Amino acid sequence: MSIRALSPYFFILPAVAIMVAGLVYPVLQAFYLSLYDWKIGTKFEDAPFVGIRHFIRMVSDENVHESVWVTLRFGFWTITIEMFLGVALALLLEKPIRGASLFRTIFILPLMISPVVVGLIWRYLFDARIGWINYYLGKVGIEPQVWLGNADLAFFAIVFTDIWQWTPFIFIIVIAGLQALPSEILEASKIDGANWWQHILFVKLPMIRSILLIALLLRLIDVFRALEVMYILTGGGPGRATELLSLHIYNRAFETQQLGYASAISVLLILIVFALSFGILVAGNPLKEKSDI
Amino acid sequence: MIGQAIGGRQAVIMHYASLAVLALITLMPIWVMVSTGFKNDVLVQQKEPVWFFFVPTLGNYEYIMTRGNFDVYLWNSIIVGTLSTFFTLLFGGFCAYALARTEFRGRVLVANSTLLVRMVPPAVLAVPAFAMVVNFGLNNDLAVLTFFYTALNLPFAIWLLFGFFKQIPVELEEAAIIDGATPLQVYFRVLLPLMKSGYAVAGIFTFRIAWNEFILALLLTGRKTRTLPVGASGFITDTGVEWGRIMAMGTLIVIPPLIFTFFAARQIIAGMTAGAVKG
Amino acid sequence: MDLFELKTRAAAAIAGTALAFATSAWANPYEKYAGTTVVISWPALAHFNAAEGLLEEFTEETGIEVEVDALQYLRLRDRQLLEMSKEEGDYDIASWVVMWKGEYVSKGLLTPLSQFFTNGSLVDPQFDIDDVADAYLQNGGVVGGKKGYMPGKSGALYGLPFGAETSILAYRKDILEEQGLEVPTTYDELREVMTKLHEAGIPAMTSRGQTGHQVTAGWLLHLAPMGGKIFDDEWNPVINSPEAVKAAEFMRHIVKTGPKGIETFGFGEASAAFLQGDAALYLDTLKIAAMSRNPNLSKVDGKVGFALHPTDVRCGSETGGFAMGIPANSQNKEAAFLLIQYLTSKAGDQRMVELGGDPVRISTLQNNADSFEDYPVVAEQLPCADPDWRPLIPEWNELNIDVLGQALTKVITTDDPIQPIMDEANEKAREIMEREGYYSWAKYRQ
Repeated sequence: MSIRALSPYFFILPAVAIMVAGLVYPVLQAFYLSLYDWKIGTKFEDAPFVGIRHFIRMVSDENVHESVWVTLRFGFWTITIEMFLGVALALLLEKPIRGASLFRTIFILPLMISPVVVGLIWRYLFDARIGWINYYLGKVGIEPQVWLGNADLAFFAIVFTDIWQWTPFIFIIVIAGLQALPSEILEASKIDGANWWQHILFVKLPMIRSILLIALLLRLIDVFRALEVMYILTGGGPGRATELLSLHIYNRAFETQQLGYASAISVLLILIVFALSFGILVAGNPLKEKSDI
Repeated sequence: MIGQAIGGRQAVIMHYASLAVLALITLMPIWVMVSTGFKNDVLVQQKEPVWFFFVPTLGNYEYIMTRGNFDVYLWNSIIVGTLSTFFTLLFGGFCAYALARTEFRGRVLVANSTLLVRMVPPAVLAVPAFAMVVNFGLNNDLAVLTFFYTALNLPFAIWLLFGFFKQIPVELEEAAIIDGATPLQVYFRVLLPLMKSGYAVAGIFTFRIAWNEFILALLLTGRKTRTLPVGASGFITDTGVEWGRIMAMGTLIVIPPLIFTFFAARQIIAGMTAGAVKG
Repeated sequence: MDLFELKTRAAAAIAGTALAFATSAWANPYEKYAGTTVVISWPALAHFNAAEGLLEEFTEETGIEVEVDALQYLRLRDRQLLEMSKEEGDYDIASWVVMWKGEYVSKGLLTPLSQFFTNGSLVDPQFDIDDVADAYLQNGGVVGGKKGYMPGKSGALYGLPFGAETSILAYRKDILEEQGLEVPTTYDELREVMTKLHEAGIPAMTSRGQTGHQVTAGWLLHLAPMGGKIFDDEWNPVINSPEAVKAAEFMRHIVKTGPKGIETFGFGEASAAFLQGDAALYLDTLKIAAMSRNPNLSKVDGKVGFALHPTDVRCGSETGGFAMGIPANSQNKEAAFLLIQYLTSKAGDQRMVELGGDPVRISTLQNNADSFEDYPVVAEQLPCADPDWRPLIPEWNELNIDVLGQALTKVITTDDPIQPIMDEANEKAREIMEREGYYSWAKYRQ
């Protein structure tokens, strides 16, 4: 084999090696650890092998069920509202105007700042005693609420925070997609006499549907990855009302120290996320040959 | 119906007004953080919010910078952020180049699995990373954190850089190859200068993740290797959350991403939309 | 530096010198270790923040450097377990919440203090360990006694109490007086005072209530006086007993009559509510007394009175807080011991009081009884401190956070009947104990 034929391997080797060691190996390790009952502070060699006992326990563990259910509900509400708001705003405000870049800069700020900081800010705003939200609700005659201490309100709080943080993302993606649409087609449909609604429903939205699909899937995967904001904001409480699956794994592993069992739940999470990722691959992997960016 | 149904001047005003309202909603919480960082404890604990008119104090900043290990945390964050960005760009660039420009066995496999591993949730990494660190005795080492951040960032960087390579005409390289340049020479002499904006975008995203990441940093760092977000969480203490101090710390953490955002908003948006819009 | 401080320092220095001549060829017992660095892991609590002043004095006096890693207290355990399970750990002194002692010792992570108390060149003959409050010493430092965590002949000493505590009642004198209410001495009276305050529009009593460890700690405070326990003598969980349900019902009463947000309160928020004037009563750790005197934390200094933890069917107050010991993998064990001894010595204990911390010695409580209203109360409360207040077994962590912490959140955030919630928790607790093999002896005997 010539040097030139080998050179692609030389170029991909470091990256692939790091990804295998840093991402693939840990995922396999999670499978392996889930077969042992390992506790922090003891040697792994001393951890008893328990086979698939953790998985059996997981199948009937109400806590895991509840956490999956919380994650699904969280995903449903955040993504539905974010997609709706983001797309609606983008359609209303797509027309290029002067100063648009300043607004866009502002809109990406929530995405750039640390999740820890996002969690802290909203924890302060939602605070029952000194929170600003309670103060202004009080002004309009609404009783102060214990936002982060009531199951429904705390769930609302994490959904609200997520919407604040991520709606701009959808907005910006959709606007970019809309502005990239070929103007001839849009003009043509106007000439055909389509009114504004028809124009949006039957011309514009179908044309950006692949963008919408990918944005949706990316957000969906993010829902299963999310943990830091909730870790700071509620810690998963009250009860397990805001304990998304990722946070549940973390709490199991490092609050109650059941590393093996937490690994078993990780396996469940990996399966869910990979299933969703296949959706993206089917929807179009940009690294494939046929695409030319 | 505001945008297009109504024409003319009115529509433009409505347009600006709606954008302004949205911008305010976006900025309000951030302003709460920045202003709270400059308030003394009495103002912070008081129930009636103060938006603008108060006597600012630097007490919180003084506290976090002199007590505790702010300088150490800052230094750690800079080191980890810079090193992981460097390695991500170097190796991610190589990989993206090979995927974009060459045919080889396993190319599709590498491309698809890169996308797949991009989705690995950090929570899944937490326990195995912890196990690796304990069992191999690697604990409290910034190198470990740098390594994991590089791994976490590589898939997205490859994806992004791949797009930028595709935009560069092949003719330039072919000319260099005919002149007898090796692939490495082609990469560093011909392509690198053309890829500046691509590296800038990928660099910002990589640095941002490394700078902001919390959960792995919390698990894998010790007394001397904590990063800023972990340091900030330390102000959620048992004598109550020290809101003034924690918001001051939050403000400091937000500064670098804020600077990036203002100077490179266009590139960041390009990065965000690259996958979705043109894919 | 005030005159008093100078005097204590001088006295300590003289004592140190005298000791040095008596024991070794070194000029003083510390000299051999001058220049080494002792690393301490302890919580970011007011008592420990105050202790940093004393650490500086220690370094000045002995030449032994000290570095502190202060963390949120529920975060300590992860960090300490991780460091202590390595070949060479980062920490030379670990300060643990008493409930972790069984786990640390069973995993072989701590050094028995007998290794140092047998070394005449290290031990200050005037240390007088008998002066350390017995409830604190037994609860925080002794492991392996009756049931593994209570005092008993099979126990051994692994740590000395520092930042140890029991519970007392703190109340706002001004508010009770204004409302014409007496300081409650029993739970019936307490309940009535709370109701009356609430009816007068005043948030009555603050409490911890955050899901997990915190809400359980809040509930335990009332379980003991009401006569309840977590386990019977055969390790059968009894958290669905009438007493336990009554304590849970009392938690619900606290939340209904107390300040807004108890469901989210950890230790910090719960005490802040009292210190910021948002609650009239505080029934939890004695740490509140020193905190109420700290102008950075408190708006209510001078308005706070202290009384015994009210009784119901018996007197039973908390045993908790912290003790500190030396990890088995520490590289500077002797220097670490010298520091622990320094901090808990008579002079050190007195200095802690002056710096705004809490004493662990009976003599310190007595000597300062005139300066601080709470000290006589604490001295009177200590005999009631219940060594079986909670089971300090390794499994407690899971019971505490996953079982009780969840069940009690349900109690205080819903209006569901309490008995079924506690029945369910009891079943879960039994499963855990079964899984960990606690019933194998009972089965074997059958």
